[in-house]
Amino acid sequence: MSVELPFQISIPDSKLDLLRQKLALTEFPDELENTGWNYEEAKLNQDLPQFTKDIDVNGFETLNIHYVHQKSSLANAIPLLFVHGWPGSFIEVRKILPLLVQSSPQFPAFHVVALSLPGFGFSEGAHKPGFAPEQYAEVAHNLMLSLGYHEYVTQGGDWGYLITRIIAHKYGGKHSKAWHTNFPLATPLNFSVNPILFLQHLFTPYTAAEKAGIERSKRFEKEGQGYFHEQSTKPQTLGYSLADSPVGLLAWIYEKLATWTDSYPWTDDEVLTWVTIFYFSRAGPAASIRIYYEFIHSANGSQPSSFEPTIPLGVSHFPEELRITPRKFVHSVGNLVFQVEHSTGGHFAAYECPDELVDDLREMFGKQGPAFGVVPGKNGYEQRIRANL
Amino acid sequence: MSNSFKIAVSSTDLSALKSRIESATFPDELDDAGWAYGVPLTDMKRLVARWRDGFDWRQEELKLNNELPQFTQDIEVDGFGSLNVHYVHKKSDRGAGIPLLFVHGWPGSFLESRKIIPLLTKGSGDSQCPVFDVVAISLPGFGFSEAPKKKGFSLSQYVEVSHKLMIALGYTEYVTQGGDLGSRVTAGIARRYGGMHSKAWHTNVLFSMPPENDDPSSYTASEKEGLARWQEFQRSGSGYFQLHSTKPQTLGYSLADSPVGLLAWIYEKLVSWSDNYPWTDDEVLTWVSIYWFSRAGPAASIRFYYEVAHSGQALGTKSSPPTIPMGCSLFPKELIRIPKSWYPGVGDVVFEAEHDKGGHFAAHEQPELLVGDLRKMFGKVARHFLRDVYSSLSVSSFTFFYCLQAKNDGV
Repeated sequence: MSVELPFQISIPDSKLDLLRQKLALTEFPDELENTGWNYEEAKLNQDLPQFTKDIDVNGFETLNIHYVHQKSSLANAIPLLFVHGWPGSFIEVRKILPLLVQSSPQFPAFHVVALSLPGFGFSEGAHKPGFAPEQYAEVAHNLMLSLGYHEYVTQGGDWGYLITRIIAHKYGGKHSKAWHTNFPLATPLNFSVNPILFLQHLFTPYTAAEKAGIERSKRFEKEGQGYFHEQSTKPQTLGYSLADSPVGLLAWIYEKLATWTDSYPWTDDEVLTWVTIFYFSRAGPAASIRIYYEFIHSANGSQPSSFEPTIPLGVSHFPEELRITPRKFVHSVGNLVFQVEHSTGGHFAAYECPDELVDDLREMFGKQGPAFGVVPGKNGYEQRIRANL
Repeated sequence: MSNSFKIAVSSTDLSALKSRIESATFPDELDDAGWAYGVPLTDMKRLVARWRDGFDWRQEELKLNNELPQFTQDIEVDGFGSLNVHYVHKKSDRGAGIPLLFVHGWPGSFLESRKIIPLLTKGSGDSQCPVFDVVAISLPGFGFSEAPKKKGFSLSQYVEVSHKLMIALGYTEYVTQGGDLGSRVTAGIARRYGGMHSKAWHTNVLFSMPPENDDPSSYTASEKEGLARWQEFQRSGSGYFQLHSTKPQTLGYSLADSPVGLLAWIYEKLVSWSDNYPWTDDEVLTWVSIYWFSRAGPAASIRFYYEVAHSGQALGTKSSPPTIPMGCSLFPKELIRIPKSWYPGVGDVVFEAEHDKGGHFAAHEQPELLVGDLRKMFGKVARHFLRDVYSSLSVSSFTFFYCLQAKNDGV
């Protein structure tokens, strides 16, 4: 059983100096002076209780994993694993964390674990080729087990969607009890696979929102996939730029922060904090993008729909998500028990619309919800203690 | 009005580059990655170390200036105003050379004319061997040419500026050679100015769509292999293309800010697109330095892809092929090889040569082979079209017949 060590982000001055040096060579102002990374670092350390732990992965080296872990004051809160994507990080849990751990008779409370995926944030990256989404899922699952959470639920978007789907498939039932996503990628329905759904879909007209979403998805496919193509074929070539140029890294990530959100009013400091986490990540900025390559080259890269998780699934639709999945398609993703459509919000739901996302989770796992009590003994509400008469 | 030009990078720019190289930060690399994920770390570290200590840009600059007579000239482009265009211009040794416009692509530059110019202008010693006046343009946004400032400078504009340069130099009739983007530009020249100005065009990369009644079962083994290589290229080697065509600015920040990033971006193509060409480190660094020190900066050149993709001129768009004679040289490691049955979609192929070595950067990798082909092709075809050049020869009334003859000769 590996030891949990408390962790504080603490970027050494020498690294900050080198960054300042590089920024001084560009024509852009030295943002670091103005914002004060040290201030942001302190705030992050204050807001997010962080730890590291060695986690074993079958067929690969042991990886030291960084994660946020906050327990609710309520003992039987629902253990929830939050999994980020790219260009996200553990920072995406920042706003939903204080809400999720809240205890109330009105809604369920959660114990929250938000890991930094290997190669992201302050987690080690794998050194051997072939570390694919299945391995990321294994790391996340093993982390939960090592924290004593043998039964838990998950929330994920972007890569977090795929990873929690794998978790639902591989560890679902016994360990993962239900999963929620804001990025339900579904392949078009196939008559031979889902005849009833296929026919239902055929005869259900698209809503206006779905139509707009389909247009958006097409545009994304046509104009917005260059990064995906490069990252899944030549991540090392691109990686030299991302590692050497803070400006290049900033542009690379900021483009997504701006275009994948629903007019989210990013402050410069918010963006810089987000990007600085990548810049000072333990494995370096080039490591995080390898997940794309490994995914495409893995057996499941070509057959993701071979998974059929049976545990309850909840979905939250945000209109400015990258790919809009029509309602009927979502049923092919998993055992859909909960589906909500929002009128605002984009890809980074936990960060853009924390209240809405938390409301959805509270509803899904709440007393009237379809996933109430999925984790035995941990339904997120105060246990009424019966006097032993 | 053409002005003599010498490459003269300022010492400020040189020392700024040095500072950046000195603070270079490398990523790690997966165990035994080789070339699978992109450029290997050992290659990059070796190249950057050389760039930091040992590579002498001033030496390279001097050599280039000595070998390649360069000029600049303002060329007016409809809707875009005047652009100052940089180019190499070398007349043939024997006088009355065939005017030849050489058009590079990406990540190429005027540098690709370096080895073929002496061969083209000097000839082989045989008086029957044609000689050429060579113009090697730096396309706008590349080398030391200005870049357009407005959106929408697409294939038509590259075609226009290249043609107008030839006219400005007094070459009202000329032939062209182009590969990569240069192939598309010269095809465009053949289409728009063919007949009256462009008399014939030669390329080392053919692309067209299959004809209506195409029969894949009739492809030869090497044609099948060529198409398979194209598919593989699209699957695993065209990320750069997607990025350039959709978000060139986002990528541009990296290329402009990091010489290491730029080096990786270009070097990957120099190696993977050539046929085991034995690049020396200094060769690579000279090539990449031209991009780093380019007039418009490294981010400008890749906009070409975006503009073409968004102007309805994307590769594969149906358009009628040029009618002037064309020739092609097939090198085995070119990125694509189309079946012969697709040729009508490309143009009127009167000359074809196939080689057993060489890749995408044909003029740089196999200059003798490429020039040999140009001498064969233009030696016959040009004779009957370039009256200015061959005014002493009577223009045969069997011009058409001669062209056919050239075809039948299997040339």
